[in-house]
Formats: sequence, C-alpha cells, structure tokens
Amino acid sequence: MAFISSGYNPDKPMTDRITDIGPRKYDEFYPPVIANNKGKWLYHEILKPGVLVHVSESGDEVYTVRAAGCRLMSITHIREICEIADKHCDGYLRFTTRNNIEFMVDSKDKVDPLIQDLESRKFDGGSFKFPVGGTGAGVTNIIHTQGWIHCHTPATDASGPVKATMDVLFDDFKDHRLPAQLRVSLACCLNMCGAVHCSDIAILGYHRKPPILDHEYLDKMCEIPLAIAACPTAAIKPSKVEVDGKKLNSVAVKNERCMFCGNCYTMCPSMPLADDVGDGIVIMAGGKVSNRISAPKFSKVVVAFLPNEAPRWPSTTATIKRIVEAYSAGANKYERLGDWAERIGWERFFEKCEIDFTHHLIDDFRDPAYFTWRQTSQFKF
Amino acid sequence: MDYEEAKDLVVAGLTKKLKNKSKFYFNDLAKLIGEKPRAAKKYVNQMVVEGVLEYWSSGSTSMYGLCGTGKQAGAEHEE
Amino acid sequence: MAKHETPMLDQLETGPWPSFVSDLKQEAASRAKNENNIEYQIPQDVVEDLIGIMELSYEHGRTHWKHGGIVGVFGYGGGVIGRYCDQPEKFPGVAHFHTMRVSQPAGKFYTTKYLESICELWERRGSGVTNMHGSTGDIIFLGTTTPQLEEVFYELTHNLNQDLGGSGSNLRTPSDCIGQARCEYACFDTQALCHDLTNEYQDELHRPAFPYKFKFKFDGCPNCCVASIARADLSFIGTWRDDIRIDQEAVQAYIGGEIMPNANAHSGRDWGAFDIEKEVIGLCPTNCMWMDGKELKIDNRECTRCMHCINVMPRALRIGNDRGCSILAGAKAPILDGAQMGSLIVPFIKVEEPYDEIKEKVIEPIWDWWMEEGKNRERLGELMKRQGFQRLLEATGFDPDPRMVQEPRTNPYIFWKEDEVPGGFERDINEFRKYHQR
Repeated sequence: MAFISSGYNPDKPMTDRITDIGPRKYDEFYPPVIANNKGKWLYHEILKPGVLVHVSESGDEVYTVRAAGCRLMSITHIREICEIADKHCDGYLRFTTRNNIEFMVDSKDKVDPLIQDLESRKFDGGSFKFPVGGTGAGVTNIIHTQGWIHCHTPATDASGPVKATMDVLFDDFKDHRLPAQLRVSLACCLNMCGAVHCSDIAILGYHRKPPILDHEYLDKMCEIPLAIAACPTAAIKPSKVEVDGKKLNSVAVKNERCMFCGNCYTMCPSMPLADDVGDGIVIMAGGKVSNRISAPKFSKVVVAFLPNEAPRWPSTTATIKRIVEAYSAGANKYERLGDWAERIGWERFFEKCEIDFTHHLIDDFRDPAYFTWRQTSQFKF
Repeated sequence: MDYEEAKDLVVAGLTKKLKNKSKFYFNDLAKLIGEKPRAAKKYVNQMVVEGVLEYWSSGSTSMYGLCGTGKQAGAEHEE
Repeated sequence: MAKHETPMLDQLETGPWPSFVSDLKQEAASRAKNENNIEYQIPQDVVEDLIGIMELSYEHGRTHWKHGGIVGVFGYGGGVIGRYCDQPEKFPGVAHFHTMRVSQPAGKFYTTKYLESICELWERRGSGVTNMHGSTGDIIFLGTTTPQLEEVFYELTHNLNQDLGGSGSNLRTPSDCIGQARCEYACFDTQALCHDLTNEYQDELHRPAFPYKFKFKFDGCPNCCVASIARADLSFIGTWRDDIRIDQEAVQAYIGGEIMPNANAHSGRDWGAFDIEKEVIGLCPTNCMWMDGKELKIDNRECTRCMHCINVMPRALRIGNDRGCSILAGAKAPILDGAQMGSLIVPFIKVEEPYDEIKEKVIEPIWDWWMEEGKNRERLGELMKRQGFQRLLEATGFDPDPRMVQEPRTNPYIFWKEDEVPGGFERDINEFRKYHQR
C-alpha cells in the first residue's frame, strides 16, 4: 500500500489550494427531457406504485421509476445503479430526499423493461436490490441516521431497525392502500441529526442511564470545563475523587438532571453512556410536515421504551405494524395518521393500537408540558 | 484595528485561560478582539490560515484553540 | 471466506427490503478481489473490519465509535467528522474512520459519469462506503484515514470541481426539493435559489463563526417535501398570491371518474366513486370552495393555499401565476427546549435573481442579530423565543403583520418602551403630590 500523492503538499497547504467552489451546478446533471421542460410541467399521474408520469405543456412526458435505496450504500452498489441508468436512462438519475433512487425515461415503452431489470436484481442474501414503489398513499423509504455503523452517541442502530421495519412494511412500500402517505423516520439518539420529530411514525434511539465516569483517566483525556459546559441541563460539576489513594480532579453528574444526550461524551471520551439494557427505542407518532388541510405538527411519544433487540427489533416492528394497521382501518381517505389520532382522540388511539399508556407519556419537560394536558371536560370513555 | 493587534489580543487572551481549557467558541474570540462578529471573523480566518488557531468540531458545534494545545489531540491519537 | 463471523448481521440479509449487510459484504468482496489492481490508500480489508465492528455492536448493544474533533482539511472548520473505533487492535482497518461531507448538487440529479468519478476516488482513498445521502443532504463519504483527508479534498477540488459541505457551527449545506425541474406545484426555482445561496455563502459554510448550526431549506410548495418547515432555521416555501387556475372541463372529468383523484395515489383500495363534495370541498380548511351548477368556484381571497384541492385534482387545478415564497424562521429538532416549527416572518417575497432582497433584507440582518445576540449553541429559533419575535422585527425592519401569528397574545403584559408612551417615563413627583397626598 504505497502512498500516492494527489499533488497536495502538506508543507505548503495553501499552494494551489482551491476552496469555496461549492457543489456542482445542478443543470449539468439534468436529463434532456428535464432540461427542456423545466418549469413547464402541467400535471403528473402515478401509473402504479413507484411509477410516475409527468406531462409538460410541450407535450413531452417523463416517466419516473422510483426504487428503494439504502442510505448506507457501497460504491459497488452505486456502480450498479449507474449501469442501470446507462442502459435505460442515457446515463441520468436522481436521488430523493428519502433515499430513493429515481430512474427517468422519456417514453412509455422504456418503462417496463426498466422495471423488469430493477425487480430482477437481488443480493446474494436474497433481498431485492431495487424494489420499485414508495409513492402515493403508501409507505416510502425510511430516512435515518448513522447508528452503530458510524456514530459515537447512538442509543440504537439505524440501518438494522430500518431494514427490519421495512421488511415488515414492505407490502405497503409497493401498494397504495393506506388513507394517505405514511412517513417513517429513525434517529439513533435524541439529538436527532435526522430530524424525525414531524414524522407519521418516528423510531428514536434513547439512552436511559447517565454517563459512566472514568475517573482515573478523565482529567488526563478531557478538559473538565469543556465537559461541564457541554451539558445542556447543567448536570455536571467539577469534583475531586480518590482513586487508589490518589486525589484526582474529575466531575460529578447530578443524575436526576441528566437527559441522556451524550453531549458530554462528545467533549470527553471518559464519559461514555452507551448501555446494552439502558438503551432502546422510543416510538413517536402523528407528526407531519405538509401544510395540506391541517398545519404541520410534531410527533408525539406513544411508546416510552422498547428494548434494543438486535438483530431484528421484533417489539419495535410489531408495534409499528399495529399502528399502521389501526390507522389503515380507521382513518378517512386523505387523513394523515396524526389527523386521525386527533379526530378519534388520543385515548382512542392507544386503545386501537393496543398500546399501554404509562406516566412517561405525560409531558413534564419544561414549559410546553402544560399545553399538552387536557383542559376540557370533553373526552371519551 | 490591524490584524497583528487582533492576533496579539487573541493569543494573549487564550494563553491566559489555557490552564483551564483550550477550546473556545467564536464569540469568545470576537469578545477578545472587541469587534462585531463579522469584522472579527476576518481576523480569525486569517489566524487559522497562519496556523495560530485551529478548529475543533463536535460535529454539531465548532470551537477554536491555539494550535497544538489541549488534551484532545492526545485523546484522539492525532499527535 | 469472511474475515469476521457475523451471525447476527447475517440475519439481516433475508427479507425483501434491500439489505445493507449484503451490500457491505459485496463491497468487502470487491476489495478483496481487487480486479482492477487499485492501489488502495487505506486498508484493503476496511469493509471487513467495518462489518466486524458492527457485528460487535450487535452483540454488545453498544456503539464502538469515538468522536474526534481535530481532524479536518486545512482552513475549513467543517465538512469532516472525526471517528475512531475503540477496538483498534481487533479492527485495525477502521481504527481511523472519518466522515467527509461532499456538497450535493441541488435537486440531487446526477450523471453516471459524475457518480463514477466519485466512486473511483472513494474506492482508492476511502472505504468505498457512502451515504446517498446524509440527513442534511450531502453525499457522505464514510470512513477514511487522517492522511487521506487532504488528498481526497485535493482531488475533489482539482479534478472533480467539487467542494465539501458544512458541519459544526456553520451554514449547513442547503438542500431543496425537486422543484420546477419535474414538479408542476413548484412556485419558484428551488434549485436556482439553493445553488445561488450555497455559493454566495461559501465562507459561512466552511468557516464557523455562528453560535451554532444554521440551515436553509427550499420547498417549492406548501407540501414541503424536504421538510423545511420542521428543520430549517430559514425555510423558503413556495406560494402564490393570485388565483388558483381552474380547468372546468377537467373538474368534470374528475367528477365523471375519467381521471383518478390525487394522481392515482389511492389506487390500492376501493374508496368508492370520487365525491368532489366530500373529498375536496368538504375538506377545504377554509371552506372557500363550492359548486355553482357544473362550475367549481373558489373564493381565492379566503384560500390559504394548503394544496389539498390541487393535490387531489392536479389536472384541473393549478397554482397561481403571481408566485414567490413565504419565509419561516427558527425550526429545529427538540434538543434542547423542545422542537420548534418555523414561524412565518415573511408572508410573501418574489424569488428573482440575483435574490438581493432575500439576501440583504432577510438573511444578512438575521445573521447579524443572531451572531451578536445568540448564546453559544443557541439556534435562531431559541434566540427568537428568548428575546421575542419583536426583536426579530427590529433586527430586520419588517412590519408586524397579523399573518405572523396564530393568534394575538392572551396576556396584556406588553413591555412598553419609553418612546412609545407620550411624555416618557420621567415624571415629577412634586407635580403628582399636588393632587395626591402622601
């Protein structure tokens, strides 16, 4: 493995340095049918799940076949996507915000061969490489964060629970039977670098134990004032501890103030908080971002904790499946999950979804909590 | 204020606090320089290019420190 | 023969949904074979070790990664996230495993030629594992060693005309919906605005001087496909202020069942014949629609542009012609003081190149205020809550507008300023005592 220089000279980093050039310009990558009809689209139709046609006032049509992508994707897989796009789409494609891959063709006769090609490709393990779907009143791809593949503060994995959940919801990825679209998201800790707080169903990793303090190394590896300042709830203070007869500078954590965010661990590697039984999953439901009919709204916590059951998280996927089925059976056409829950009442939501209501689900975090309690005599038995 | 003056203020200010911590927020630097953030940023950028200051990032937040100071480098095996 | 046994991960290879485990395994196999004789610049078995340490996390129920804050490319305070594994002896291939964020093109359209050039680079100088794409929108290069960071950056900028994205207390890589490129609902060119602002503010994107992260997101219409209203400090949402265009013939075609409602999005279930009264007029949140004989009427002045009727009948109803965007400020995820939606600060603004009004009257005054007043790690939305909406009005010079609130305040505790009250606050006690005994 000989080092090969790109041309960069570490002794003179500023020589020939190119900076601040930004991303590539979007229109370099437009397929001709898009470039020619941008801003001229008249309407669209979903021909079947995963297949859209957009019709331009010029008479042109673009057919889009949407296939699932894993956000975690190898270059071997990307090259296979490129091979498909070269074969069917003149070398153009796009990705959606929700990690789907869109293959576009400019005439209807190119659609079926493309779909057949996509659906015929499977991984050695047996799963589909490019299942077609994710449109309309169904479940589309789950957006998610890194989890155990790359993050230092996750309370659960991301790719694994997503795979397990989408296996369970797979039929709804390929169908339009639901009352409206249903967006599932996953964030592997409460920092939510994937903002899941407005999803129909959110899977959220959550720690339940304060950090472990590695007193012996803490002052050697961390700058204590930075660890203290990192805490959003001011739960950390400096302390002196005795280890093996030696007085050491360290920190103390006021456990009842800890919200388990892991920000201290980011600053100080001597304060790890991951735990096999402490960590698990919170399920949230009823959020949306669209302004359609009702205003955008936040997801609500409906299950306070489910254990991390690697590799397939059966309690989590079963709970999600129950919510989806109850919603499917009960909601009106066009009604999002949160709107349905509000119409029937949350007391009814828990009953229909067969979820226990525990004290953890009553908000007690800071001022907004009060506004979530019931201030009316109207409720259902 | 010229650049050298700003640099002296920052180096002196950060060195004084080095006993406690080595990483600072941008606003701490702006206060040391005594200019509004946008004006201070020009000096700070220059100090990074000259190797006086270096960045530290939590991923979500960024901090600044005098080059090579602090315990993080050891903890991250990047010495 | 795999380097590490992975009995738990292997169970994620079955089932219909694409398996990331199978994908990682094929990447590991491809590197092991190295058919194209690539001079790998990081360990050839990096993906084997990645799978190995992932399996260990599945066994332990805990992550094995540590954060690193120092690494980056020279002169940039963002774009690289340092990662080290806590079992470097067992998994030397991923001892250093840093992320690089690569600024994605607006709209996420690609040519295969470009993607292949990215793959070629990342195969040689990195793990060959990516995210397409990260939550914020960047292409993520997942895993390389410290010495390769500058080399990757040099090749990106010199050979691929491509820069890194943002992280830390920077402007984060802005992202947008597909917009006018392929959507009839788009009220402005999301890609053009996203690209322009991304380039205009490259310094803010690479060199951190903000109190915390700052995000722009661009949604072409109120359907909000990139969720700007939930996660952007400034969210730009397309809208119009004239009339919805109606094609009455097409309305009749929907009523007659010739065209399926909602672009056929409900095809998986028999919901019965389309009923315009129930499905469109009855669900209109402002009740501003009615049938006048065979004509669909809309009282456009009362319409709040929720998109429902247009979504249901895209061939009959179209967005208006006087288009622009609304700007909302302060959305964020729950950490720390609870989640915030964006709050409306500009009901309507034209979106026209070179976007001077958006830059000079909205973005830059807000940044100046937040950079001066924001506490460390305080998002714009939190500053708005702490100092009040009025301070944002003062900082920007926007006129107060009832559109900015859900409802007026329910308490009368107005902090009147001295110059708002005739005569000011200074009064003469002796004058007062002339009429009021002690």
